[in-house]
Amino acid sequence: MAKLEKALLALNEFGRSRKSDISPVAAVIVTLFYIVIVLTVPVSDPQRLVWMAVYPVMMAEYCGAGFVRIFIKSLWVLPFVILIGIFNPIFDHNPGIKIAEVSVSAGWISFVSIILRGLLSMQSLIILGYMAGFLDICSSLRRIHIPRILVTQLLLSYRYLSVLIEEALSMRRARQARGFGSDKLSLSLWAALVGQLLVRSADRASSIHRAMLARGFDGVLPLVDRGQSPDKNSILFAITVCVAVALLRWLPFDSWFGFLNF
Amino acid sequence: MSHHYISFENLSFSYPKGPEVLHDINLRITHGERVALLGLNGSGKSTLLLQTNGLLFPSSGRVVVGDVPVTRKTAPEVRRRVGMVFQNPDDMLFMPTVADDVAFGPRNMKLPEQEVTRRVNNALEAVGIPSLASSPSFMLSGGQRRAAAIATVLSMEPDILVLDEPSANLDMRACKALVKTLSEFNHTILLATHDLELARNLTPRAILLHEGRILADTSLDEAIGILSQLADSH
Repeated sequence: MAKLEKALLALNEFGRSRKSDISPVAAVIVTLFYIVIVLTVPVSDPQRLVWMAVYPVMMAEYCGAGFVRIFIKSLWVLPFVILIGIFNPIFDHNPGIKIAEVSVSAGWISFVSIILRGLLSMQSLIILGYMAGFLDICSSLRRIHIPRILVTQLLLSYRYLSVLIEEALSMRRARQARGFGSDKLSLSLWAALVGQLLVRSADRASSIHRAMLARGFDGVLPLVDRGQSPDKNSILFAITVCVAVALLRWLPFDSWFGFLNF
Repeated sequence: MSHHYISFENLSFSYPKGPEVLHDINLRITHGERVALLGLNGSGKSTLLLQTNGLLFPSSGRVVVGDVPVTRKTAPEVRRRVGMVFQNPDDMLFMPTVADDVAFGPRNMKLPEQEVTRRVNNALEAVGIPSLASSPSFMLSGGQRRAAAIATVLSMEPDILVLDEPSANLDMRACKALVKTLSEFNHTILLATHDLELARNLTPRAILLHEGRILADTSLDEAIGILSQLADSH
């Protein structure tokens, strides 16, 4: 099966409900709590972020996804995070720390911190996807009173991603049918295909929007409240994990394990 | 006055910065009528259908559904009354399961969840796919997708059903199922199609559009005769 077909199937699978023991609402709350806590770690303290990695490692194993797989998937976010932090080492030359007599500037430390934050946040979101399907996540976001407009944006992005893949798939098939086995594309052909893909997907998106309007869409996608109130186990799970995350954030590991101090 | 009629009064339409594609359309379809909209490709059939639902608005003239003129303000009310089945069923199926798609309209109408469930079950039953309720739409066959698309509209219990090429890409069995489903719809039907067999089974009256104008408003057989002459002359 070609990559695009796999991507389409994976995207559809991502939308479906998971049969996890933990209620989606609890999973969403824990994930949001973790991300907020990760963001409170000062950029001058990357060691603390290393401790925060305990959460994705444990949770990846708990939900059966495997940390290596989660880690590899999270690397997709790396270019964006690098783009955000790349100017820190260039502009911030203040002395930071010394590792084996080598001085590392504060800019480099904050750069590493930003990358770690990005990766950890991404990993926690991927784990959330494993624990609860995308639609259950959106439904849970509504339950915890995240604004409708934001949740609708998420749902529409999800829908249009599949439109984009479907259009890319049909273009690929059309090209293959007349490609006589050749998979090579010149740069100019690539550019033309990408342009065509954008135009086609915009056209499809417009047709879908019309079909939605015809059925009363008023800017907010109606979400089914799937009635998954967190049960006792899920509440206990959420409290335990949140406490554990808070401990990872504030316990003085540096003084207990001096070898981690640079 | 009945909710179930549509009238087009001196309607003309042009796309922004484009030529006029519908010219001075005058037409009235009354309660319970089944009407076929025939014409060659590019004659303006789909554009005319989009006017019935407030998805496009006339450049001049007006469309009235029941006693409501179609305007930007009344469009939500009109869309409750006019159910529109689009040419490509994939455009209508965007939720994770068929049941979610069929429930999309009723939920937008803010109906209670119990009523939504009743309507979803009835609509799926009407199109003969109750067993596919929890299937993802991308796994359905062409005929099943078409049936699901029609169910998404039937669940809104519209007064008027507007269909754009509903039999496109359907095999004979699926076409027969479609005819059966539409025959059981007791209200007004406006159907744009190239499938003359489908029209013969459903609609005694036909409107023939040509280059954005009504060329004939007559019996189906007569309209087919004129259409055939038109096709030969092009």
